[in-house]
Amino acid sequence: MNRPELESILKKSRLPEIPEESLAIFPRRIVAGIKRNDPPVRTARNYSPHLAWAFGLAACVVIAFAIGHWRVRAGKEKIPTNDTLASVKLVRETLAMFPNQVRAIVEDEHGMNLVLSDNNDVPTSPPIYIRICDGKQCSSLVTFSGQEIQIAGQNITVLSDASGGIILEGSKFVWSSTSRIYASSNLKIEAKTL
Amino acid sequence: MAGSDDDTKLIEQSLTGDPEAYAALVNQHQKMIRAVAFRMTGSLDDAEELAQDAFLSAYRQLGSFGGGSKFSTWLCKIAINLSLDWRRRESRRSDIHSKWAEETVFENNPGDRFPDNLSRRVQDALNRLPAKQRAAIVLTIYENQSHAEAAKTLRCAEATISWRVFAARQKLKRLLKGLPHE
Repeated sequence: MNRPELESILKKSRLPEIPEESLAIFPRRIVAGIKRNDPPVRTARNYSPHLAWAFGLAACVVIAFAIGHWRVRAGKEKIPTNDTLASVKLVRETLAMFPNQVRAIVEDEHGMNLVLSDNNDVPTSPPIYIRICDGKQCSSLVTFSGQEIQIAGQNITVLSDASGGIILEGSKFVWSSTSRIYASSNLKIEAKTL
Repeated sequence: MAGSDDDTKLIEQSLTGDPEAYAALVNQHQKMIRAVAFRMTGSLDDAEELAQDAFLSAYRQLGSFGGGSKFSTWLCKIAINLSLDWRRRESRRSDIHSKWAEETVFENNPGDRFPDNLSRRVQDALNRLPAKQRAAIVLTIYENQSHAEAAKTLRCAEATISWRVFAARQKLKRLLKGLPHE
């Protein structure tokens, strides 16, 4: 089933009919409800100068803190912040949908792809985020230790050790997050455990 | 103020404390809000309760409706966020809590008479999505909102919406396999 076919099914579905009496009574129920409450008020726009100064000061402190925090992070973090797969929350939502089935979530120039196992046999382990750039083309994926995934035109086996180090073994290179073993000059690789 | 002239007039009258004007607004938008609430809850009774909360909440906030969007979009935003809170409460109540996501499956209410089997199957599939993914589908498919608009409604990044829609589609395709699409 492709995307337009799915949308056509979703749009064809109709709701159970709401009884006419319910539609007629409903506005009266709301009116009864609002009569018990205070009427709405237009948002007031009078600010005290003291309050404005306090807010201004608080905003400055927050901005200063944010800039400082961002600089520290920018120094350490090379993974782009707009990379969808770097979001732990989104990855967790997907893994929860297909328990023990997700071999990898891959994002490349063709978009996002889920690589699912036919059986629920993917062992539970911490997800590993990998970003590989070959010249100008970059691909990201989230996968697990022990998985063999095709990315950047080659099969790559992903392994992690007990101390959190990540090893990628491709047909033309070997890469390690700890000892920086490298056998390909064109590839830029980053990896971390999510 | 964005929205139809009728809405604008009725909002102004409601703000002067005319409850009948607000009743007219409710009458105008109740079907849309109740539909959104139904898609989110899977039950007409719960949808009615949620829609009532949404209209009462909207009335209390009416003074802050700045008209940056259509009144119906603003109402929809209130309803969908209330329905997400409702889902959270219901999940807690049924005590089926997942560490990763809200996975409680809400069955269709047997008392709700669907017009056909396809409609029942679709709602059943929607009930099986995590609430946030369902909200993304309801807004983008049924309310025809763009990903950017849905992101504003759900107060999250556009990429988050795109991802939720993508993940929801994968699951819906699986759940609705075999249904005729033409």
